Amino acid sequence: MHVLAEQCPWYVAGPLLALLVIGLRWCGNLHLGALGSFVAAESWIARPRGLPSWRVFFFVGTIAGGVAYALATGALHATFADGAFDEMGLVAGRGLAARAALLAGAGVLIGFGARTAGGCTSGHGVCGVAQLSAGSIASTATFVMVAVLVARLLPIAALGVAR
Amino acid sequence: MTARAKSEGRAAGSGGLAARIAGLVLGIGFGFWLCWARFTSYDVILAGLRFEQLYLWLMFGAAVVTAAIGLRVLRAAGARTWIDGAPVGWSTTPVRRSHLVGSAMFGIGWAVAGTCPGPAAAQIGQGHLAGIFTAAGIFAGVALQGWIATRRAPAAASSVSPGACAQA
Repeated sequence: MHVLAEQCPWYVAGPLLALLVIGLRWCGNLHLGALGSFVAAESWIARPRGLPSWRVFFFVGTIAGGVAYALATGALHATFADGAFDEMGLVAGRGLAARAALLAGAGVLIGFGARTAGGCTSGHGVCGVAQLSAGSIASTATFVMVAVLVARLLPIAALGVAR
Repeated sequence: MTARAKSEGRAAGSGGLAARIAGLVLGIGFGFWLCWARFTSYDVILAGLRFEQLYLWLMFGAAVVTAAIGLRVLRAAGARTWIDGAPVGWSTTPVRRSHLVGSAMFGIGWAVAGTCPGPAAAQIGQGHLAGIFTAAGIFAGVALQGWIATRRAPAAASSVSPGACAQA
């Protein structure tokens, strides 16, 4: 399937994401948020009581969607390769354990920070900003500015550590 | 499913079986979409954050504008939800210090890992197994935050519920 194998054009991808936001809201005033699905999955795993909430189903669905895409494009193969991440001075040539540690460390910042803020790129960035929520707009401006800055500084810092 | 769970689901408006089916189906759409738009790729995220490609920003702008218009049309038309017939609507939050502090931390992690919570989950399904480490870290961060919040203010901790993902 050629169309699916190519990166979805932005002018199609944007409205498609908006349809997911609108669809969840129309279904049952549900708020799209990937971080919330991690929070729900974590609390259900810690205390599994009864059928998990819709957010846990959304979390499972997100993973299943990845499987569906890989199957649809005939590209289901497992790899630990992570593009240019593997070439960062901090982890290059230091094996999988070093890469795993850096990703997990970044993951802790993502989970702790986004839960403190009450949302991530989907919950605040797309859904909250579309709803013109001041808290979401402030959150989005903050994480975008910080991420842009860190992405710029990263090569310098990473090389500094490696040499 | 017990009668009690059913009634709780109805009362909450977001916990019933229909909501779970909607969550699963739209979650699959979300994961599929993340892969198709290449947001499961470290290189694509970093190229966006470094403005080497405008894809991330153009997509974001198109998504926000379309969603803002669509949601407002739904609400203005007095649409009701499919699941429980409640009026379509949402609340917004004022800016709090936690938004800024938490988002600054999140921004660092986003740029270092080149991924955020949705893509980390979709990566795992796609066979992009580096996502397992990022997702494990996210779970640890989420649990740690919840633990600290509960210790600090046991009564207020319930406000940091799953639904709090931008109670926007």
